[in-house]
Amino acid sequence: MAASTRTKVLSLYKELLKESKRVTDYNFRNYALRRTRDAFKENKAITDAGQIQALVVKAQENLEMLRRQATVSQLFGSEKLIIESQPKGAG
Amino acid sequence: MATLVKNLRSLCTIANVGRTTVPRLGAVSVLRHVNERHQSPVQNVLVSGASLQPKKNLLAFPQLPLFLVLVSSQPRRWYGGKQPLTLDTIQKRVDLVLKLYDKINPEKLTPDSHFMNDLGLDSLDQVEIIMAIEDEFGFEIPDADSERLMRPRDIVQYIADKEDIFD
Repeated sequence: MAASTRTKVLSLYKELLKESKRVTDYNFRNYALRRTRDAFKENKAITDAGQIQALVVKAQENLEMLRRQATVSQLFGSEKLIIESQPKGAG
Repeated sequence: MATLVKNLRSLCTIANVGRTTVPRLGAVSVLRHVNERHQSPVQNVLVSGASLQPKKNLLAFPQLPLFLVLVSSQPRRWYGGKQPLTLDTIQKRVDLVLKLYDKINPEKLTPDSHFMNDLGLDSLDQVEIIMAIEDEFGFEIPDADSERLMRPRDIVQYIADKEDIFD
């Protein structure tokens, strides 16, 4: 893999994780994080340039979609789940 | 003997006046504005007592004890700030972040262990480590810099350079 593709993919990975963390709903947030990690891990052995390019385009589309969804989720706040509440004195 | 008793009594009355006037001063300063025209002799006494106090405007809250009013009048800043960093604290915080990352075995971790060669991580994990460090120290690490940060010691050095810490 060329060095420029490598940095591009890594920065896409970082962007996707960052956007995932912005989602307010616990379930959607963790789904986005898990989906991002799994997809990159699944395809990390691919060496074919054309295939990589196709996946990069797909990741960019997903990144845009995730940006929109994260912003929308912030507009319509959801209640925190019990699992998210910190015990007193922690944090 | 009689004069002694008399002096003692006058002392007591002075103390009483002092005790009763202090809480009332705030109220009196309001009253003074309201009935400026009809002042009774008692109020005259109290008002002159008030002028003895150094800072009348502090007594805007007559229900508070005097010392509290004085304490709260001190200028005070309530800004948030970060803890002063030293190389030692950076080292500890980086260490903690790395130990809490689930793919790193805390027993194998040393300041000089390479994430990929020694700890068996891949470049995706390294990105996640850098993100965790960004969250911990509250600033962004650009991609060009994060590529070089492959050992805990590199990260500590990089943060120290960014935060201008040299000792």
